[in-house]
Amino acid sequence: MKIVERGNDLAARLQEDPKLRGGLELLRYRVLGAEIDKGLLFKTLVYIILINVAFIYIKPILYMVTTMVKDARNILDPSVIWVPKTIYLGHLQEAAHMLNYGKSLLISIGLASSVAVLQVFSCAIAGYAFARLDFPFKKLWGALLLFTFIMPPQVTILPSIMLFKEFGWLNTFLPMVVPALFGHGLKGALFVIIYRSFYSTLPKELDEAARMDGAGPFRMFFRVMFPIARSATVVVVLFSFVWNWNDFYFPSLFMFTAENVPLSITLARMAGEMAQAAGAGEITVYAEAIKMAASFLIIMPLLVVYLFAQRWFIEGVERTGLVE
Amino acid sequence: MKWNRRLEANTLRKIEGSLFIAPWVFGFLTFVAFPLGYSLYMSFHQVKITVNTVNYTFIGFQHYREILVANGSLLYEELLPFLRESAMMIPIILVFSLLVAILLNLRFPGRTLFRVIFFLPVIFSSGQIVQEFIAQGEGSLSIMETLRIDYYLQEYVPGAWAGPIQKVMGSFVLVLWYSGVQILIFLAGRQTLPAAVYEASRIDGSGPWNTFWKITLPGLVPYIFLNLMYTVVDLFTFPSNPIVSRVNTTNYGSSSALAWIYFSIILSFVLLTLWLYSRVDKAISGRR
Repeated sequence: MKIVERGNDLAARLQEDPKLRGGLELLRYRVLGAEIDKGLLFKTLVYIILINVAFIYIKPILYMVTTMVKDARNILDPSVIWVPKTIYLGHLQEAAHMLNYGKSLLISIGLASSVAVLQVFSCAIAGYAFARLDFPFKKLWGALLLFTFIMPPQVTILPSIMLFKEFGWLNTFLPMVVPALFGHGLKGALFVIIYRSFYSTLPKELDEAARMDGAGPFRMFFRVMFPIARSATVVVVLFSFVWNWNDFYFPSLFMFTAENVPLSITLARMAGEMAQAAGAGEITVYAEAIKMAASFLIIMPLLVVYLFAQRWFIEGVERTGLVE
Repeated sequence: MKWNRRLEANTLRKIEGSLFIAPWVFGFLTFVAFPLGYSLYMSFHQVKITVNTVNYTFIGFQHYREILVANGSLLYEELLPFLRESAMMIPIILVFSLLVAILLNLRFPGRTLFRVIFFLPVIFSSGQIVQEFIAQGEGSLSIMETLRIDYYLQEYVPGAWAGPIQKVMGSFVLVLWYSGVQILIFLAGRQTLPAAVYEASRIDGSGPWNTFWKITLPGLVPYIFLNLMYTVVDLFTFPSNPIVSRVNTTNYGSSSALAWIYFSIILSFVLLTLWLYSRVDKAISGRR
């Protein structure tokens, strides 16, 4: 009873005392905010969720980096989980040697960037045509574009192998590069769709103005339309480069016996070798560390590219280049 | 005369357009349509490859019959669990990426840093690196073991679903890793909703909760379906999934038949999505 009385008393005093009341309201304003999404409480919640998820994304990378610099003593020491006591770079050397790093890195860079450049141009041209120009059976081709996007590459992979064999292209880079020249290749349809949706958001007056000034269609495309699509281009270049860099499926089928292979293939070959060694009874505590070092060597160039490109990339995404 | 000139201009426009689209059409015919028809052709034949020649013997639907009826273990024991798994993964991916995209769209200090981190999966998830991480057990949540959820699942969930649920839970982090592009699409889609609408709803005194359900979510419906389609396509063409790895060079005929069966399943899923979309779209625009 007494507590209730005291509570009532407090409430009454609160009503009377403007200073106390003001203070409490300020507190409420700070914690809850004028609207829910402005208050301290909400912000804390957002940060908690974001930091948690960010941790999930970063953890494998941390694990990778810390594992690869552990030497035998650190691997076996149970008190070492994350931070090794000493830094040992031997695994990196070993992995680089097993991956044939110098050569494979150059091949990967050459392959991924040439495909990315070709895809940007060819997909921009096709996307522009789909969005702004008129040609016979446009609806049909549009449906086929969607169809190409949906179709799993596995449906056409076997005849493609036979086709490229006929051309004598197996074990070269041509099966990856030539389709990119025509706006296909790895996820080419998606890139065409990205460009199409970008170009269809531009106002019609742009074409008309350029036409009035007497620009021909090709000049108009290369002088006006292609430069204007910069934000879409950044997104497409980054996606195309990264996906081609990581792609294992096409190279593994088109160049299975080749001597010069990109990093994704050498990684798979290396993993196969190590599995075989483990099967033959060679148990080593280093396997894990070497694998992680190899993964790091493959990811690192992508990370560097991403860190440089991320500002334009995020901007490009925000300019709605990506969406239909 | 005037009519004639307009007609001419029209044809000219068509020729211009045709010139622009020609490379793509050529590529489509060579690298998509031709192999597609060829693989359909092969799926009805027994293909024998010798050193110089390829022999085809017509066998009709035998490959299909073998996969669908006679030797169904591949399709039913590997594909069905995979489908159940995707049935659970897709909603998780969609809800998670929507949540993250909305959070990343808010203004708060450190937003750029978080965005940089949250787009990392776009870089990694397509590679073999992720496979490496799963092998290391980086994909699982340790809560699973501490709460003994496995045990309860076995006890209370029908057997056909317990396995896939366990697998999804076991690779839950992986599911989050697969939502990189989806977050991007939602974030980009969110930018297309006009700020004026939000301003108006704020002035009318609507709280964030209402604003989300009444404005943000309906506005994002096209992107939800775009993401649904993307996720379906992405999951089903991932090289590590059970069916895809069966399409190999050991038997061209039956591999082609398998690819076609698989493709028709995907196609029916996508068509279902599109049909749903048209229904939902109609319902929403009807309400407006």
